[in-house]
Amino acid sequence: MKRALPICFALLVAACGQNGEPDIQLGNAWARPTRGDSPGAVYVAINNKGSADDRLTGAFSDHAAMAMVHQSELVDGVATMRMAGEINVPAGSRIEMVPGGTHIMLEGLRAPLKTGDSFELVLKFRKSGDRKVTVDVTKAEQK
Amino acid sequence: MSLTRLRLLLWLMVGAVGIGLVALVWRQSDPQRSASTSLGTIGGPFTLIGTDGKPFASSKLIGKPSAIFFGFTHCPDVCPTTLARLTKLRKQLGKGQDAFSIVLISVDPERDTPADLREYVTLFDTPVIALTGSAAQVEQVKKQFGAFSRKVEQPGGGYNVEHTAAVMLMDEKGDFVATLTPEEGDQVALDKLERITA
Repeated sequence: MKRALPICFALLVAACGQNGEPDIQLGNAWARPTRGDSPGAVYVAINNKGSADDRLTGAFSDHAAMAMVHQSELVDGVATMRMAGEINVPAGSRIEMVPGGTHIMLEGLRAPLKTGDSFELVLKFRKSGDRKVTVDVTKAEQK
Repeated sequence: MSLTRLRLLLWLMVGAVGIGLVALVWRQSDPQRSASTSLGTIGGPFTLIGTDGKPFASSKLIGKPSAIFFGFTHCPDVCPTTLARLTKLRKQLGKGQDAFSIVLISVDPERDTPADLREYVTLFDTPVIALTGSAAQVEQVKKQFGAFSRKVEQPGGGYNVEHTAAVMLMDEKGDFVATLTPEEGDQVALDKLERITA
């Protein structure tokens, strides 16, 4: 029993490690060009290199009236879109948004997105707060 | 129930299954039945409006296979992604831009004017035929192609359009051959495109 005590203690310490900090890093943010008053979609890679989970709660950009975390879904062969709610970013995980799934929808763009342009987008996290990332506007047929 | 009666009943059931199987095989081997599928009902002649604002008759698509997609220009994710995929697949196929036509039919004729569509397709580095029309014309074409769409009001004002995600592949005669869906891999898609452009 005495020998088991240090093991119990070690387990307890390991469990406490879960209470560390998230370490959110954003990268590979891109969007296709848009036209007229059409909304745009931004795809971002979120890396949580920390030891605690975090949650993506929203987004905003000076370049658009509204930025929303959206989810495209295929329901019985029909493409639908809905608000994604909060997205969990577990400790040590990487979430890469790809076309046809989760994206940041930009509604009311100040100007249409043009290939070669870049602008700043802020993603809001429950623990890590506001994190800024630069979005590159790619060619339409990219990815 | 006596054991003999039970045994008889079980044998009767085996017999019934046997008759069912024979009937099934006979039905499938019937050449007339396997030759007639309902694929022929998808598509058919239609008239919409081209990006030049003039009527566009579907007969202009005949002579070349085509990939027809129902979408709209205010669609941020799925539509540009589908057009990007078709652009990429047409390049990968390696038969040039004339191998098949990429056709976008607007399911949002209320907002998509010919000029909007003209500007939209120039975003893609490849020729895309974009069509719109009156609400009635678009409804009619949707019905012919078995395509679905509906307007969904958005909380912040404005609306989104939910629509069939599959691309309809038609051969050079304008007959429906297959669909391309977002879920299937690029290899499956390329095999289908290879088939319609053979």
